[in-house]
Amino acid sequence: MVKQITIISLLLTMLNASDFDNDCLSCHNNDFKFNMMMKKYTQKYSSEKRIKKAIFEYLKNPLKEKSVLPFGYINRFGIKEKTDLDDEALSDMIDIYYDKYNIKSKIY
Amino acid sequence: MYKSEKKTIIYVLSLYLSSTILLIATLFTTYYFYEKEQLIHSEKEVLKEYSLNIEDKLSNTHENNDGKYLYPRFSDFNSAIYDIDKNLIFSTLSTNIDNLNKEFFFKDSNSYYISSLKPYYLGAAYTVIEKKTAAMDIINDLIFIALIVIFITIITSFFLVKLVLKPLRENLHLLDNFIKDTTHELNTPITTILTNIETLDSSNCDKKSIKKLQRIKTASTSISNLYEDLVYLLLNHKVSSQNEKLNLSNILNQRVQYFMQMANIKEIEVDVDIQKDIYFTADKRKLERLIDNLLSNAIKYSDKKTNIKIILNQNSISIIDEGKGMSKDEINNIFQRYKRFDKIQGGFGIGYSIVKSITDEYDINIVINSSVDSGTEVILKW
Repeated sequence: MVKQITIISLLLTMLNASDFDNDCLSCHNNDFKFNMMMKKYTQKYSSEKRIKKAIFEYLKNPLKEKSVLPFGYINRFGIKEKTDLDDEALSDMIDIYYDKYNIKSKIY
Repeated sequence: MYKSEKKTIIYVLSLYLSSTILLIATLFTTYYFYEKEQLIHSEKEVLKEYSLNIEDKLSNTHENNDGKYLYPRFSDFNSAIYDIDKNLIFSTLSTNIDNLNKEFFFKDSNSYYISSLKPYYLGAAYTVIEKKTAAMDIINDLIFIALIVIFITIITSFFLVKLVLKPLRENLHLLDNFIKDTTHELNTPITTILTNIETLDSSNCDKKSIKKLQRIKTASTSISNLYEDLVYLLLNHKVSSQNEKLNLSNILNQRVQYFMQMANIKEIEVDVDIQKDIYFTADKRKLERLIDNLLSNAIKYSDKKTNIKIILNQNSISIIDEGKGMSKDEINNIFQRYKRFDKIQGGFGIGYSIVKSITDEYDINIVINSSVDSGTEVILKW
């Protein structure tokens, strides 16, 4: 029983991880930028709940005003496209993103 | 030093002392709270400084790009950071903080200071600084000062009372000396009168003169008794008791005889029931004072044509009169010096205070049964 559960959960994680690879890393292949984004969000929104909410809202409806990036940057590269992921998949991806890159767990 | 003087000194001292202590307590409490306020203020300043310090370090750490963030640590204080939803991010504190709403507080000998941050470096919206509270060791100093002040108060109040009582003391001394001198001067005339009356040949006198002589004799006996009391009081503390085995039966008989004249004038029937050869070890002079005072009181406060009963047995003397009697309050107050219940009768009111001092010295138990208008029974038991 325990074995089965372990296998299933492992499978699920791998599945999720591969989803994350497909849905996010396929374009954002640079770890450094991911770190930077997390820093910007953390600096602006502080808590896990608020960061996730802010990312979710931005990806659903990216606006210049909502971006955490500096204006110069936005002016030069423009803002991101709207996500085509559904709400559930998007929040799952955000969860994975937060788990992987959050600052709190990296403080020692 | 007089007893009353001692009492006054104690009263004034306690009054003076209690008011001083009250004053000191008020002053010191105010001072203590003032110092505490100062301490809070200075602690707050220090912690604020630390708080700015950590904010600076947090922003530096936040800019770190290697994906790991070393939390800034300091030797003179601990700290913690919380996110905007008040979840702990990282802490080097010794305890948990539940309430982030207070700006400054003390807990377990530590001072805490909470400040909010923006932007949220490392996600930190609140920083908590913890520092060992600086010691406030003024209590020992305060106690030391208080002791000195109290000591000075005691000394000054002692001298103050002495100073205030000085005129009173001098007056009392004067009075004492006066009584002493008078007493001394009284001795010779009284003795002269008494011996002359005793030796007077009354056979050639008519009845009227004999009665007058008897009155003179009674009056002289009263004066003599008073004289003895005064001498006793004046010398009491200066002469040690010379105790010997005394035939109490004989002495009591003698004293009764001595007062017989006085009783006769008031036509008082004296009923004597004295067992023979009962011995008691005491100073003869003191024993006589004791008996004399009880007898003279019994006669003095008896009405005309009543009975007085005197009973002596192995370990008690009872003197029962049918006089005015005393109320319960009067019995309770009887042993106070200068207490006299009947203003009509003469005397200084020193009789019972002498009785008391003698009975105390010889461990004699004194019982007074009395009711108003029916008489008094005084029982001495040993």
